[in-house]
Amino acid sequence: MSSRVEILNDGGYRSDGRRQFELREVTINLAQQGHADGSAIITHGLTQVLVSVFGPREAKMRSQTIHDRANINVDVNVAAFSAGERRKRSRGDKRILEIASTLKSTFEPVVQTTLYPRSQIDVYVTVLQQDGGLLQTCINGTTLALINAGIPMLDFVCAVTGGVHSTSPLLDLTTLEENDVPHVTVAIMPKTGKVALVTMETRLHVDRFEEIFRLAGEAGKVLHREMKSAVMGRTSALVDAMGSQGTGIDRDGDEPMNTA
Amino acid sequence: MSTVLLSKAEKSYITAGLKQNPPQRADGRHLTDFRLISLETGIADLANGSSRISIGRNVNDNGGGTEIFAATKLEVESISVAETSEGREGGRLAINVSCSPAAYPHLTQITLEDYQHDLTAILHATLSHSSLHPNNLSIIPGKKSWLLHLDLLILSDAGNIHDALFLAARAALWDTKVPKTRSVEYKAPKSNITGSGANEASDMDVDTAATSGFSTRTHLTHATDFELPDYWDEGEVLNGRDRWPVCVTLNLVPPIHFLDATPQEEAAVPRRLLLMFSFPPSSSSHEPTLQAMRTLGTGELSLAQIKDLIQIGQKHALDLYTALNVKLKDEDVRRTLKAQERFASARR
Repeated sequence: MSSRVEILNDGGYRSDGRRQFELREVTINLAQQGHADGSAIITHGLTQVLVSVFGPREAKMRSQTIHDRANINVDVNVAAFSAGERRKRSRGDKRILEIASTLKSTFEPVVQTTLYPRSQIDVYVTVLQQDGGLLQTCINGTTLALINAGIPMLDFVCAVTGGVHSTSPLLDLTTLEENDVPHVTVAIMPKTGKVALVTMETRLHVDRFEEIFRLAGEAGKVLHREMKSAVMGRTSALVDAMGSQGTGIDRDGDEPMNTA
Repeated sequence: MSTVLLSKAEKSYITAGLKQNPPQRADGRHLTDFRLISLETGIADLANGSSRISIGRNVNDNGGGTEIFAATKLEVESISVAETSEGREGGRLAINVSCSPAAYPHLTQITLEDYQHDLTAILHATLSHSSLHPNNLSIIPGKKSWLLHLDLLILSDAGNIHDALFLAARAALWDTKVPKTRSVEYKAPKSNITGSGANEASDMDVDTAATSGFSTRTHLTHATDFELPDYWDEGEVLNGRDRWPVCVTLNLVPPIHFLDATPQEEAAVPRRLLLMFSFPPSSSSHEPTLQAMRTLGTGELSLAQIKDLIQIGQKHALDLYTALNVKLKDEDVRRTLKAQERFASARR
């Protein structure tokens, strides 16, 4: 018989060698993708998502426009090869529609849609690989892509999944852990400390909820640092590229060498 | 399907430039020059083989260009006589092309699905042909075989999508590793049967080796199931992976043709000839086989023209094939080295 994988062993390590509160490696690529106005590829461990943002632009269907604000249209696509077992999900799949509507309702209050009446912002999410924390990756990717597209937002939205194994809380779950422990996804707005989303599909004891909720909020702030530094890096690279043509000043902050 | 809309004046400007002597293209390329192609294999950890290709990506910010992800996944399929499953002796291939709506933001959902279907049809018909079928997709003859799913995902289209799809498909199939399997069979404990049989039949004087007509157990001398002996090993490559074809798209503005069209050029020149060549290693690369051919767009071509174009296309395909093979071998080395280094550092 194959032995059961321990979610958290006696030494305090998880199945992939992480500690309880350790997040997986995050990589963020804000390079341009195709014709999109802003895009981001974000990976949390083995979960990888590409988000492309188009707009604000004229809506394809006039009926979709709202007279006093922009309409956010979210479209989620899951690559057939993304999960461990191949599965072609059609567009009307309930799971996909649910992720799309969650993203939409999370970002509607954060994006300053009132600045763009009668227009549409298209968010196309493509899931390239999934290993747990799909919703959190989609949310973080969408935040970055919206920022990259220059769409005004009130704040970042940073999401983390938390779970509870017997009584010990865990952060940033993999598929293996998600299948086994009750988990909750929390999205926070780090500047104001407001919570943009809390979602839970499994049962969790009410006594445990507060702890994991607080931890996920703190982890969100850590992610915010990562995301912010990626955005700053991308922006300063763009500024450098522009500055090197216009002015002759060194943009990296070095004093020009005095040869006289 | 063009991603841009051009006015008549723009179209004639582009075609006039192409017909000039020497021909002029907007990006200064020669008629038979490709844009920069970059390729990476092994990009999806959960797939059996994968590749990512981009044509004409801006080297400064990685933006623009045609971009495709391709990944293969192997699935065990049982072969049944009852036709309930589609499993076939020797395994089969299922190829699917899907487009991200971000690649074609101006298309509606329905048009996008039609387009996906068109592309899938071209790839599936070419790649799943029996002449290219790898012969190591069988697990247990007559019982189980591998179903090879090849999924291609178009992330952005900046022209020359067919060539890019075939390049990505070839790279992903090249990269595919079929897990090694070992057949397992059930053998009735023979000594036991014969032993007890001998005791009972000692008075009756019958052949003890003969088994009961009702016992089906001893008939199962062939394999019934399989196991994966090496969990850590990635397996072996697909047989005949040299044969996977490459595609060249000849964009036709009689009397000339050009390669690797940009979206603007595609919109101006709708007539194209797709040629898929396979270069079997046995026949010394001079004798490629034309696996498929397809014309797109309106207009007519005479047989003599087609004959010439096939000759020309073969030359271009050979160039592309050679370049791609160099890169694929390079990637193989890169990834094995990387794996070895990782292994060595882990042992330290």
